[in-house]
Amino acid sequence: MRCPTLVLRAAFAVSICGASLLQGADPLNLSIPLPLTGGQAKFGEMMKRSYEMATDEINAKGGVKGRKVILAFEDSQAKADSARAIVEKLIDVKKQPIIIGEYTSACAKAVAAVANERKTPYLIVASADDAITQQNYKYVFRQNVPNAYYAQGLVSFFKDVVKPQSIAILFESSDFGTSGAADMEKHAQRMGMKVVLKEKYEKGAVDFKPILSKVKQAAPDVIFMVSYVMDASLLMKQLKELRVDAKLFAGGAAGFALPEFVDNAKDAAEYVVTATLWTPQVKYKGAKEYADKYKAKFGDFPSYHGASAYSAMYVVQDVLTRAKSLSQEDITAAMKKTDLQTAYGHIKFEDRDGYQNQCFSETFVLQVQKGEHQTVWPATYANQKYLFPIPKWRDRK
Amino acid sequence: MGSAQLEVLLQTLISGLLLGGLYALIGLGMTLIMGVMKIINLAHGELMMVGMYIAFWMFTLFGVDPYLSVFIAGPVLFFLGIAIQKFLVNPVLKVDSILPENQVILTVGIGMVLSSAATIAFKSDYRSTPVSYGTSAFYLSDIWKGSPIELSLSIPWSVSFVFALAITGALWFFLQKTDMGKSIRATSQDLDAALLMGVNVQRMRVVTFGLGSGLVGAAGCLFIPIYYLYPALGGQFTLIAFVITILGGLGSNVGAILGGLILGLFESLTATYVGMGWAPVGRFLIFIAALLFLPGGVASLLRRRTFGK
Amino acid sequence: MNRVAIPLAVFGALLALPLIGLSSYTMHILVLVLMWTTIGMAWNLLGGYCGQVSFGHAAYFGVGAYTAGILYFKLQISAWWGIPLSVAVVSVFAFLLGYIVLKLRGPFFALATLASGEVLRITTENMGEFTNGTLGILIQQRTWIEKTWYYYIILAIAALTFVVIRKLVASKWGYYFVAIREDQDAAESLGIDTTRYKTIALVISAILTGICGAFYTNYMGYIDPHIVFALHDISIITIMIVMVGGVATEWGALIGAGIMVLLAEWIRAIPGLGASHQAFFGILLIAIIIFLPNGIVGDLPKITRLFRRARA
Repeated sequence: MRCPTLVLRAAFAVSICGASLLQGADPLNLSIPLPLTGGQAKFGEMMKRSYEMATDEINAKGGVKGRKVILAFEDSQAKADSARAIVEKLIDVKKQPIIIGEYTSACAKAVAAVANERKTPYLIVASADDAITQQNYKYVFRQNVPNAYYAQGLVSFFKDVVKPQSIAILFESSDFGTSGAADMEKHAQRMGMKVVLKEKYEKGAVDFKPILSKVKQAAPDVIFMVSYVMDASLLMKQLKELRVDAKLFAGGAAGFALPEFVDNAKDAAEYVVTATLWTPQVKYKGAKEYADKYKAKFGDFPSYHGASAYSAMYVVQDVLTRAKSLSQEDITAAMKKTDLQTAYGHIKFEDRDGYQNQCFSETFVLQVQKGEHQTVWPATYANQKYLFPIPKWRDRK
Repeated sequence: MGSAQLEVLLQTLISGLLLGGLYALIGLGMTLIMGVMKIINLAHGELMMVGMYIAFWMFTLFGVDPYLSVFIAGPVLFFLGIAIQKFLVNPVLKVDSILPENQVILTVGIGMVLSSAATIAFKSDYRSTPVSYGTSAFYLSDIWKGSPIELSLSIPWSVSFVFALAITGALWFFLQKTDMGKSIRATSQDLDAALLMGVNVQRMRVVTFGLGSGLVGAAGCLFIPIYYLYPALGGQFTLIAFVITILGGLGSNVGAILGGLILGLFESLTATYVGMGWAPVGRFLIFIAALLFLPGGVASLLRRRTFGK
Repeated sequence: MNRVAIPLAVFGALLALPLIGLSSYTMHILVLVLMWTTIGMAWNLLGGYCGQVSFGHAAYFGVGAYTAGILYFKLQISAWWGIPLSVAVVSVFAFLLGYIVLKLRGPFFALATLASGEVLRITTENMGEFTNGTLGILIQQRTWIEKTWYYYIILAIAALTFVVIRKLVASKWGYYFVAIREDQDAAESLGIDTTRYKTIALVISAILTGICGAFYTNYMGYIDPHIVFALHDISIITIMIVMVGGVATEWGALIGAGIMVLLAEWIRAIPGLGASHQAFFGILLIAIIIFLPNGIVGDLPKITRLFRRARA
């Protein structure tokens, strides 16, 4: 009688073992909504590549709890209702317990609302609008700092080095541009800087010269611009053409921080500083490896969008490993306790200054020197000394 | 008016004029097509995008100056236009439908296919042709040392402007002096009369669509040294082309040129004196104003004067 | 008999649909289909029956959406009041815009309406104090998480629109509309006050579209000028829905919305298609318009004939 029980038990044990082994082999499917067509596709593509790079690395090291991660991407075309449709599908049909991704603030807002209603954790990677993490959403986490903090590093650079008396602010008419400009205006008032001009332009404008000649007449110490990449290069090119001189040309992250900015603006980009959330030279562990690998594969350094997406996969791996189960509540609880060093910096979600589940990290200042973005501020992170004062256009060769 | 204000005003006028010249070329293609075929071509900007990609690749692969690509992109787009007209537009125009505007969907579809094909083939990266003279300019103070004001005249913008004028001139010559040009104008002015006079209207339509596409392709080559390129760029230029077409008067070439210049100046002045965020509003307000008060566009003013005397 | 039976059957089926326990995702798509059906039917009144092809229905959609949004944003009143209020606000806008654009004909009318939508978008962007500009309006807490109520509300709006348009088209006014479409000058010479009837068609069409806009604000919980005044994503999609479904047909809008929303969603989700789903969809549109110039419902006889021949 003993024998059969033993056999049975053994068989049972084997079957459990087999089941868990099978479960281990069961891949973990994650779908990510992104803009892959339309005007924002550039950023969607950079993030897609970075998600894939991180996933390949994670899988090579054994995946998440032994499960292989399989990524899929869905094109939201930067449209809010498409983004919402995708996320509803992921939550309902695919039963995906965690949502990552999206790029534009408008889409992130649509996704955040759904995720919170459906009690599904949502990790925002690169959407800047301050309001998203000010809604008391319990399930929405943001890895990048909100727009109001983008320029912090830049502002300290102003205070310590440039000491400007006046500033002109040019910004694109979008969520990102408007809030970036408003935040800079507040900083300026706090520092006693006079805002001599604050002007909005329609994204994709061909000719900035009328507005720039007005800037020239106002003669501000600093010209601060919040723009996407090609508007940024056009602005700098046309500033050069008109020989509008200022103590400093500064960009508010986004377009100015991309390598394409330098590629397109060429010598007009020289000496321009920009705020950024991440640089390939930061001393975070894995940052340099990621940046070099990306450059080797795709030909250019990634900007913070890519780094954030890359690190987000590691955050997901960490959270899913720590979570007691793959239920939404457990994942959210694990997410809240995240304390992880990534290539993007230290990820920790805090409730502070009116934000919830917000990761606060240092921001940097880049300067274009000899056709390359170099980290110049804060001094502890700098790999090159900043060049200031900058020469006038007329005196450049 | 102080010298500073004068400087702003003059600089604004210069940019407006240069911008207007380029706008005119985009508008010309549209006005030809709309005049002859009475269709709304929503793929116009996408055709321009194709022209820009040709210029971009010629520059990147073979180092061909974008301005020379005008002579490559123009003909390529000409044949592309002919193919679109023959195989897609014509079948739709032939069939009987309740609303003739159903061709609009066709052009939307063509636009979607073109921009999507560009995304697949060339990725969604932003491109430009970093030509060596990209940011060079003439400065007033270099010529006249004691000048109280400083004005600048961008070299690529000026070259593009001159090219636009030359192309426009060539088109004008073609339409005024050649038999085919005259037939096209006849078809545009009165379809039935043209048919009666023995004009091969079918053929004129095909040629016109090709010509319109070729023009906007050329415009793309003139734009790329001063602007940039990505697959989804078409839409905004389609809108600009509409505004110019209506402002200038449907089917009128002189009108399109004047319309382009007026629009360029108006946008620049709005940007300087009202605010750049409002410049597009200004664009559409003169558009509606032109529709209402000047239904024949600027061209009708010109005509009235010549007939009046 | 069929004239009453078929709509009732469809309405009954749609009424029963949520009872079979559909996922929230499916419900979202169905809500969008019904919303676009309503906008399509509204557009069809002006475009299909009256012959005035508007490229600017985003203007009315956006005004409706912002009526609801501003109520919430400025006055802290439930955005649902936007639905009744938008009727008044949108009719004022439609009267004003109509006064301008209805003087024009054919392609000129089309382009003027297109411009009116764009002007409203940029104006909304620039009036930051009042509209929160490009930052848009975010409703912190949507009324329901569950979609059933939204579904029934938009179904009621759609059914109402269907009835209103059917009554209108069958009335004397409907004949005037069609007369204007077929030959405006002839209609005028028969003593029809064409401006008056075009204005009526425009205002009713605009109101119905505006109601959908107000619904959208409540349903999505976030609007900004780029979303609700979108030229391509609202105005042109509307035209495509009607033209694909069938111009001047009762059911065209429903069929068209079904295709444009469901099929677009389905094609987009095909794995491996990536960015090319747009090209795929573009080719589909081209094919439909070449082979079925009056849309699927409009060319139904042609389709059935084809099938019959295939079977024979």
